[in-house]
Amino acid sequence: MNMLFLRWALGAMLLLMAGGVEAGTIAFPEMSGWDQPGKPQTYSPETLYECINGAADLYLSYDFRELHVAEYTNAQKASVTVEIYRHSTPTQAFGIYSQERLANAKLLDIGAEGYQEPAVLNFFTGPYYVKISGYETGAEDEKILLAFGRKVEEILGGKTPLPDILSAFPKEGLKQHSEKFISKDFLGYSFLHSGFTADYELSGKPFKIFVIEGRDRDDCRSMIEKYLRETKTPGEPVEGLRRLKDRHHGDVDLFWKGRFIWGTLNLDDPSLRSKYLKEVEARAR
Amino acid sequence: MPKNEKEVRRRDFLTSSIVGLGGFASVSSSAATIPPGQEQPAGKFARRTLGKTGMQLPVITMGVMNTSNPALVRAALDAGLFFLDTAQGYQRGTNESMIGEVLKGRPRDTFALATKSNLPRNQTTGQYAADATEEAYTKRIDTSLKNLGLDHVEIYHHHGAWSREGALFEPILNALEKAKKAGKIRFAGITTHRNEPEVIHAAVDSKVYDVVLTAYNFRQKHAEEIKKAIARAAEAGLGVIAMKTIGGNVGGAYHNQAIDARAALKWALQDTNVHTVITGFTTFDQLELDLTVLKDISLTRLERENLRVAALQPGLYCQGCGRCVTQCVRRLPIPDLMRASMYLYGYRNLVAAQDLVFSLALPASPCGNCSACPVRCLNRWNVRERIQDVVRLREVPSEFIA
Repeated sequence: MNMLFLRWALGAMLLLMAGGVEAGTIAFPEMSGWDQPGKPQTYSPETLYECINGAADLYLSYDFRELHVAEYTNAQKASVTVEIYRHSTPTQAFGIYSQERLANAKLLDIGAEGYQEPAVLNFFTGPYYVKISGYETGAEDEKILLAFGRKVEEILGGKTPLPDILSAFPKEGLKQHSEKFISKDFLGYSFLHSGFTADYELSGKPFKIFVIEGRDRDDCRSMIEKYLRETKTPGEPVEGLRRLKDRHHGDVDLFWKGRFIWGTLNLDDPSLRSKYLKEVEARAR
Repeated sequence: MPKNEKEVRRRDFLTSSIVGLGGFASVSSSAATIPPGQEQPAGKFARRTLGKTGMQLPVITMGVMNTSNPALVRAALDAGLFFLDTAQGYQRGTNESMIGEVLKGRPRDTFALATKSNLPRNQTTGQYAADATEEAYTKRIDTSLKNLGLDHVEIYHHHGAWSREGALFEPILNALEKAKKAGKIRFAGITTHRNEPEVIHAAVDSKVYDVVLTAYNFRQKHAEEIKKAIARAAEAGLGVIAMKTIGGNVGGAYHNQAIDARAALKWALQDTNVHTVITGFTTFDQLELDLTVLKDISLTRLERENLRVAALQPGLYCQGCGRCVTQCVRRLPIPDLMRASMYLYGYRNLVAAQDLVFSLALPASPCGNCSACPVRCLNRWNVRERIQDVVRLREVPSEFIA
């Protein structure tokens, strides 16, 4: 092997490490009584459209890296499709998972979190979002998909935690399974980049609470500064409470401390706003 | 970064948009006065008639797929983008539900909606599963209506066809026709992201579809074929909607900083057989930028140049046309080698790339004595260089990359 080649090989390895990417393909599990009639398919960010059409855009916005798809069939001609989406980080994987989780989802203890519906089992673990679907799997549908889910969970490294930041959301009034991570253009503003949000309802009135994690204090200062400019709110960006009148979102209460910004949307009652903002701070601590 | 010829004063523009649209946002097909392919006179917001549906639509349509932000959808509707596009599959139906919440309380004749779904099928062969029945598709239509909280939608698309056979899948055609008769949908549509010309021709031949929604952009190597198919569809009276105008590229329309998204929208609209173009903005700024296209769809010299430069970006994705295989004297499996190159540099997956290279059983010196490579890749790639680069993976000890 000459030096030039070694340099190239080393460069390729460094490229892998810089991207935080694990080398290797997904070793889909063998399932007793099931065959894989074809080779697993892999889709890249450039070819994801071929697999999931227009839904691809949203996956791409969650820093999608690749999709591995395996199809299993059995003697009764039932089939199970396992799709493993790899995103750049567990937070991104949670983000796309949270976009597709329904409010009435029946949660499962699998991976970081998962749920099951007729012919569908979805979960996320680490940077992976896994979607398992069955066709003509009959009455055993739930059991079959769960067996696949457990095997796939195992090959992907087992259970992982939910993003820490979710624990900052107060429980009172929180609507079930409404926590989401928005990876880009939070609230429709590119300068706010990403954020976590959850839906609430008190006395029949819906509202939202959000938490933005900046890279550091300066990043948060920059976000607040731009938001003040956008809403034509006078004043300098300083830590603490700000009340903005946003033409798209109405009255917005924001609290900035360190590398976190949190706030309420559509919450009319000032005392409730204050209560929730304080509770987020206490929980985040 | 692409350069936009002029910056629009945002609030001024939005204000003028709303004023300019006053009273115009009625979606009644009987109000059609503009022939297909014709725009509103200069100075007004550009609209075209969606073929025989008679719906007059803004030339820009909001594709809601990328956002779960109801405020953004409200802003789009208020600004005059009264035609929305979604799908049952987007966020597993929650995109439809979110739109339904936004639409609550709005008069039904002030907005129009298209949504879509498909039935279970093998993603490789395209073959539909045994439970892909007319009843199943009818249920999907009903589910969409339930999610949206509406009793009908303007267009229901058969989602994501890539072959003639798929486009003409009888259970779906039957369900669409019955839904039309039942008043659940006003028009039947079909969408396609690949092998578009074949699907569009099938849609015309079917006599069932009223609308086609197709990927169409300046980067497609087969854009001319699509243009011809679109022309045939428009001639037959079908409405034509374009999407993926940026090129179905990494990160979606607005995440690819190298492409002038507004210019790409305008490119598609230069084809007067395209009646409206879907754009998937996610910020208020992008919405306002897209609204400028409603004012003036002409491509400036700078925008043309931006597109020309963007079209030359080589990328990593082999389009699999196969022309190289016949051009290559040694008949090398070039598309496979290009795929291996994509695994290596795109996915950064050395194992998959090496496995693929080994599986091709290439000669020791793949290019042999060829001094001048006769392959003329449509992507303008230096194919010989890429081959010589990627086959070096054969020399990497597997333990080094495993």
